[in-house]
Amino acid sequence: MKMNLLGNAAIAMGAKAAGVRFAAGYPGTPSTEIMETLSKTEYAKNIHMEWSINEKAAAEAAAGAAYSGQRVLVTMKQVGLNVASDPVMCLAYIGVKGGMVIVVADDPGPISSQTEQDTRAFAAYAHIPVLDPSSPEEAYEMTKYAFTLSEKIGRPVILRPTTKVCHASATVEVSDEVYEYNPDGFVKNPKWVIFPPLSYRRHIENFKIYNTMEQDDCEYNRACAAPESKIGIVTGGVTTAIVSDVLRDLDLKIKRLIVGRPYPFPTAKALDFAENVDEILVLEELEPFIEEQLQRIIPGDKIKGKYTETVPTAGELRYENIKNIICGFLGLGERAETACVCDVTLPGRAPVLCAGCPHRASFYAVKSAVKNRGKKAVYCGDIGCYTLGNAKPLETTDTCLCMGGGVTVAQGISSANPDTDAIAFIGDSTFFASGMTGVANAVYNRHNITVCILDNRTTAMTGGQPHPGTGKTILKEDTVKIEIAGVLTALGVGYVKECNPFDLEAATATAIEALDYDGVSCIVFKAPCIAVAPKPCVYEVIDCIGCRRCINEIGCPAISLNSDSGGNAVIDTQSCYGCGICETVCKPGKIHKAGGAV
Amino acid sequence: MNILICGVGGQGTVLASKILAESAVIDGSNVARTGETIGMSQRGGSVVSHVRTEGCDSPYIPLGEADLLIAFEKCEAARSIPFLKKGGKAIVSMTEIKPVAVSLGVMDYNSEAMERCINEHSEAVFLNPADNEFLQGKCANTFLLGAAVGNGLINISENAVKEAMKRLIKPKFYDINIKAFEAGMKACQE
Repeated sequence: MKMNLLGNAAIAMGAKAAGVRFAAGYPGTPSTEIMETLSKTEYAKNIHMEWSINEKAAAEAAAGAAYSGQRVLVTMKQVGLNVASDPVMCLAYIGVKGGMVIVVADDPGPISSQTEQDTRAFAAYAHIPVLDPSSPEEAYEMTKYAFTLSEKIGRPVILRPTTKVCHASATVEVSDEVYEYNPDGFVKNPKWVIFPPLSYRRHIENFKIYNTMEQDDCEYNRACAAPESKIGIVTGGVTTAIVSDVLRDLDLKIKRLIVGRPYPFPTAKALDFAENVDEILVLEELEPFIEEQLQRIIPGDKIKGKYTETVPTAGELRYENIKNIICGFLGLGERAETACVCDVTLPGRAPVLCAGCPHRASFYAVKSAVKNRGKKAVYCGDIGCYTLGNAKPLETTDTCLCMGGGVTVAQGISSANPDTDAIAFIGDSTFFASGMTGVANAVYNRHNITVCILDNRTTAMTGGQPHPGTGKTILKEDTVKIEIAGVLTALGVGYVKECNPFDLEAATATAIEALDYDGVSCIVFKAPCIAVAPKPCVYEVIDCIGCRRCINEIGCPAISLNSDSGGNAVIDTQSCYGCGICETVCKPGKIHKAGGAV
Repeated sequence: MNILICGVGGQGTVLASKILAESAVIDGSNVARTGETIGMSQRGGSVVSHVRTEGCDSPYIPLGEADLLIAFEKCEAARSIPFLKKGGKAIVSMTEIKPVAVSLGVMDYNSEAMERCINEHSEAVFLNPADNEFLQGKCANTFLLGAAVGNGLINISENAVKEAMKRLIKPKFYDINIKAFEAGMKACQE
């Protein structure tokens, strides 16, 4: 059956066709839709699916199922692999019985990530085979193949799509058939216990297996002949597809090597390809991975890529970049851009906290408390929508490092700057993923910090996934709801209070109290994300005096200045979500709840 | 065929591109590709969706190669103009969504200059939200698709789009979107 599928949906369908029985992941752009798509199929009702508490838990739980002979899928974004790296590195030694496919979505740019790390390099370091699809169609086929390969070698396999495969769609031929098998359950054997002598033996075995695979004929590593061509182009991932478009548009016939399985590297095919070629151009995003592999086996200075500054070392490789690089490489000169140029200076449009977002109220309340105390404060942010608190006019993100990092960074800031209030902001899903250990660390080591948990009842940035605090599973079934305040109290936090951030006066008073507290204090700001709560009403401005306080204090995207009426504030009723904090900050009292239907 | 859809995160560009890709296949294309902006930008940032049919391996439209631009917001239309072919067509909603930095006075939103730039570089049809209620709400995407089909700017049939909408839109929102689509078709023919 032909279906238009997002790359991530194609991976989900591939896993289904491969008969996956256990699927676990943690949401993260650009990987999230793999689990979401699979969870919405009828097939999902008969298998185990979970949003795990974090990537490490997902990989470990899936490992147990794979030890028992089930085919398992684990999904995450590239930085999630850092969290899961402990089990994943060890699984390279222990291996699996049922096929284990770990999908790690990389994000060249980066577009929605902290790093531009390259999972191909991680896979080689960990000694795990990695597949790199160039399109949604190939992602579907590769996913099925990855399960087969994993079972063949008895080891996990990584599938590494990038954003422009995950979030691209294509018409994919999808089969209704599902691979049938009968897992025999967990069979006790010393091989499942990672002791040093076993690791030593496996390291030798792994090297041998993967060294042998360098000579094999994997269908995803393929050369395209061009008998006249004295130069060659090597690509992997989405760059392969873009280079095909560029060469077609320029009407060029060039010898190519497409590397769909970068580790173990197709050494035999690459050597064959490099014969009778004078120069090789390597076009790849992120690390010069293929380039380094080629340098390992091809002597001299034939290879052009990132090390020769022929190819940019960061960011995405777009069509225009690639066309210019190829033209430069072939001595065709820079191609004149045919595109028209808009000579108007356009305002940039960075993402912002939504109108009605409860985080805005929480930030504003804490900022008001800091102002009231008159002491210096450092705001340690974290990963989620609330990272957007960095923008003007809120400016409540002074640091942001990694998932859960704000809680612990605040501890170092507080220790090194005793005259400063160290305040951490962390979302509810992030708190469960990796914030709890940081709080325990603060209590145990007697740090003096305030942690604000922004509990909006969802994993908002990635599109609203449930988490342990929501009482729902990925399959929308009811489950135990873990109360954050209860967790904090159990961890020994001396000051724990819940409050509604939209009650600005009470929220500010609570924040003052928490900041006054000597030791670890926590506030759980509870108000649902606008994506999961109904719109209660809208607000309007009547007889605005143009003081701009609403705009300068809270920066709500629903409020703008009306150029027709001399700079008065106006509220867009479409985007207003009725949170009402503009009413509170409007000192002249000109903002009111609008009557009539919403 | 290359179509670029642009707007502000939250306006519904992703659904519009899905509908276009689906309807192209219904109308007989062997392959339809889209490239989406999914992630942080969906929180009110600039978003674009690329839609391509046949003759391409990658879903991303090169600069200067789009046959049609469907813009959900005026400033974003101007921003995406470099994607258009010389003399390419554009359907532009006159909706203005001012970034917070504009309200704060850090940047300018020069509406007239944007309009001039769009006109200079494209054959544009402007649609005013004041005259077209659907442009003000959640159905702006299907309304604009209607406008593109109604103006004969895309080689996709009305029936294919309606069939695609049936497949992709939740039943409870289907009727209102069909109304929006049909209003879009009429808005252009007038």
